[in-house]
Amino acid sequence: MPRHIKIGLIAMGIGLAVAMGFFVNIVGRVQSMMKNDREIEENPFKAPQPLYAPTDPPVAVKLFFPAASGEPLLTAEDEKIFKSGELANRAKQILQKLQEGPHSESMFPSLPKDTKVQDLFISEQGIAFINFSNTVALNHPGGVLNELATVYSIVDSLTYNLPEIKEVKILIGGVEKETLAGHCLLLLPLSMDLSLTNVVPREEKTASLR
Amino acid sequence: MVKSFYDMKAHRIAVTVAALVAAVFIFGGRIRAADVSFPIYFPDSKLIVKADVMNRTVYLPIKEIIGRMGLPYTDSVALETLTIRSGSNQLVVTKNSALISYNGQIILLPSPIVREDNRWLAPVEFLTTGLSRMTPIEFRYRSGTSRLFVGNIEAPELEMNAQTLGPITRVTLRSAIPINVGVKREDPTKAILSLNVSPLDPARERIDHRDRLLHSVVFDDSDGDSKIVLDITREVSDLRITPADNNRIFFVDLLRKGEPVTAAPATEAPATTAAKPDSVAPDRRVRVVVIDPGHGGMDSGAKTSAGIEKDLTLALARRLRTVLQMRLGTTVLLTRDADIALDNEARSAVANNNQANLFISLHIGYSGNKMESTSSIFIMKEGFGETVSQTSAGNQLFLPWYLGYRTHRQGSAAAATMLQEELIKQISGWKFAIRTAPLAVLGSATMPSLLFEIGNLNNNVNAQTLADNGFQARLVNTMVDAIQRFSESPQAAAN
Repeated sequence: MPRHIKIGLIAMGIGLAVAMGFFVNIVGRVQSMMKNDREIEENPFKAPQPLYAPTDPPVAVKLFFPAASGEPLLTAEDEKIFKSGELANRAKQILQKLQEGPHSESMFPSLPKDTKVQDLFISEQGIAFINFSNTVALNHPGGVLNELATVYSIVDSLTYNLPEIKEVKILIGGVEKETLAGHCLLLLPLSMDLSLTNVVPREEKTASLR
Repeated sequence: MVKSFYDMKAHRIAVTVAALVAAVFIFGGRIRAADVSFPIYFPDSKLIVKADVMNRTVYLPIKEIIGRMGLPYTDSVALETLTIRSGSNQLVVTKNSALISYNGQIILLPSPIVREDNRWLAPVEFLTTGLSRMTPIEFRYRSGTSRLFVGNIEAPELEMNAQTLGPITRVTLRSAIPINVGVKREDPTKAILSLNVSPLDPARERIDHRDRLLHSVVFDDSDGDSKIVLDITREVSDLRITPADNNRIFFVDLLRKGEPVTAAPATEAPATTAAKPDSVAPDRRVRVVVIDPGHGGMDSGAKTSAGIEKDLTLALARRLRTVLQMRLGTTVLLTRDADIALDNEARSAVANNNQANLFISLHIGYSGNKMESTSSIFIMKEGFGETVSQTSAGNQLFLPWYLGYRTHRQGSAAAATMLQEELIKQISGWKFAIRTAPLAVLGSATMPSLLFEIGNLNNNVNAQTLADNGFQARLVNTMVDAIQRFSESPQAAAN
């Protein structure tokens, strides 16, 4: 075969391959795959921000944990957080205390192990959006009542102690999920439900003191 | 000799490849689809034109449109131009050119204007960026769609969605305004949903779904009337339309032939016809009960060495079905009768599609607390989602479907109370509490519905008892007693 025809055929083959590559958008696909991988990785450059300043005064809070007695579903444990200027930081401190679990023997931890709060922000309407890591669903042992306890331990602990937070919307792994672990609807933000706890709502308490 | 043979072969290959490449460049450049009907909606009328699709660009016949708009024009064959006038303004288009001139100003269109058989064909952008400068009339076109809106015409948005929900396939239509939907099955593989409102502005025109029942959903208004064409399979035995939210939402459920879970009509006698109901109750209001064995498939639910939730719930559900059929003659359907995974919506869909009078979801509890042994009867939390529907119903296009529970919440509460009373009476040593919670499986069930979570799998005594045949029989009989009571009570909905 003459050389120039060989070269011509090879050039044509390369041309076709490049054209096919454009046709199926190989570069775009590879880029998007790499981008997805990168997004899943945690950002190593994000330094953890302190949730409170050393000068912030301590403030008493009630944290709700599943009760060993089973009735009511949640009981309150007294704890202290620091009154940082930012509402979101106070909310994060409360969630941190929930993650640490109760000190009392008569209560059980409410969050599944390795649960992380990826992000938290509070909207103008007073809805706290909490983005939990996937572990909150993956490590959840199951059970409807157990799931209800997890959800309302979060909702009640935040709304009772921080009245500015009216409702809590739970996100998992950065997205909206229908349920936490198969049962409890998370499509709507949830408001405080103290009927599950041994604590009276603040308004009723002040009314009875008068 | 050999050398010349190779030469010949190489030449042939080269020529063939070159010809193929040339063919792709020449003919591929102008892939032309068949003419399509393209409706143009004016505020007071509609014009249906024949559009040409070339290179995936929609070309519209200009002369018909400007004729309808009443603009004078001059079609010059010699100059190969078309001049459109409106007052002192002048718009000139030239054959095979993507440049058009408006009062001397040049506008570039994404593809050239074509003149064929005395027809001037222009891409849609000619109207939206060219002709709209000349007249105060606005043209609205969303790329990828095949309709155009002219002037201030309001086209309500239409959203279509298709979903496989276990044994059924559901097509959901959501319209911004109330509409009426009629269904007609043209042949075994085609069904047409006719909508009484036109024009509509669908967010997506086509959904390729491809499951056992549905291939595609296509919005079609090529003749000016809105309709949706469902490309279905021969397995579809029936189509059921359920309107919701004052005819703004429609659920079109495709039901499968010979599927015991869903195809059993609500009034049909149960499978075990040999067994006779033990008593005659003319007032019995619960004719169809749907039992939902929690979890299934990959989702095994709570799991301990003593048992797996998905197996226990299925065993209990089967027992409950048998006893209900034998004692009350009720039609009983299970959402799953095998170890398969179902999502929450599919579970309540089985109850909704079969006009169930009672929906019971069975679960086994799990608590980190090994001493815990309370069973819970859950009903939907009162007022769940009400604030959403009240405050934002006006500015929110769609009401959430998971508010379906509200229609029968009182019935659910009555059923829960009766179940609790019977259980406390007959199952000694166990605690049964009624609780309210925002539960996904109950949210969209439009009948009295409850979720019964039995015991605690993490409690050894509970787990052993739950696996016991005698206990299961006692538990199931007690549940049937409660269902019988509920069935004869006024709170049971006679739907």
